[in-house]
Amino acid sequence: MKNYVNKWILQRVTAVFLIPLTFWFIYQCVLLSSYEYAEIRAFFFSKLNASLYFILIIVMLYHAKLGNETIVEDYVTSHKIKKITKLSISLLIYISMISTTISLFYLVSS
Amino acid sequence: MTLNRPLSPHLSIYKKVLTAVFSIFHRFTGICLSVGAVLLSFWTILIALGPNYYSKFQTLSSLIVFKIFLFIWTLTIFYHLYNGIRYLFWSYGKMMNLSIVYKSSYAVIVLSILSTLLVWISI
Repeated sequence: MKNYVNKWILQRVTAVFLIPLTFWFIYQCVLLSSYEYAEIRAFFFSKLNASLYFILIIVMLYHAKLGNETIVEDYVTSHKIKKITKLSISLLIYISMISTTISLFYLVSS
Repeated sequence: MTLNRPLSPHLSIYKKVLTAVFSIFHRFTGICLSVGAVLLSFWTILIALGPNYYSKFQTLSSLIVFKIFLFIWTLTIFYHLYNGIRYLFWSYGKMMNLSIVYKSSYAVIVLSILSTLLVWISI
C-alpha cells in the first residue's frame, strides 16, 4: 500500500520538474533553425544544454513509466497480462534511459 | 467465474461529463507522449551514432507528414502540460469548485491552441 502512495507522490513531483523543463526544451527547439547535424552537435556541446536535456529525458521517461503503470493497473483485469504489460513498459523505459545516458555521455565527452 | 460480465470502469453507460472527457484525454495524451519520449531517446541515439545515421532522421523530417505529426505532438504536449497543472492544484484540493473546474477546462483548450500556434509561428 505504501508503495502506491510513493508512486502517487513521485508522479506529481516529476510533473512539477517537467513543467519548466518542457518549456525550456520547446524554446530551444524554436531557437534551433536548420536541424542540421552540426547545429544539433553544437547544441549538445554545451554542458548546460546536455545536462538539462538529460534531466528532461530521465524525468519524463520515469513520469511516463508511472503513468502507464497506473493506466494498466486501472484497466487491465487479467493478472497475467497486467504483469507482462508492466514488465514490458519497465523494460522499454529502462532501455531508453540507459541508451540516452550513454549517448549523451558520448556527445559531451567526444 | 463468468467472463462476459461488464467490467469496471463502466465507461459506456455514463453520460460524457466534461471532467471525465478531460481525464480520459489526459491519459490518452499521456500514452502518446510516452511513445514520444521513447522516440526522443531514439533521436538522441541517432545523434550520438553520427551524421550518417542522423541523415536517416533528416530524410524522415523533411516529409510533410512529419510536420503534421510534429504539430499534433506540440498540441498534445501543451494539452497534457496545462491540464496536468490543473491536476496538481486538485491534488492539494485547490480549484475544485465546479465553476472554476469548467472555466479552467476551457482555459486548457484555449491555452494549448494558442501556445501551439505561437511555437509554430516563431519556428
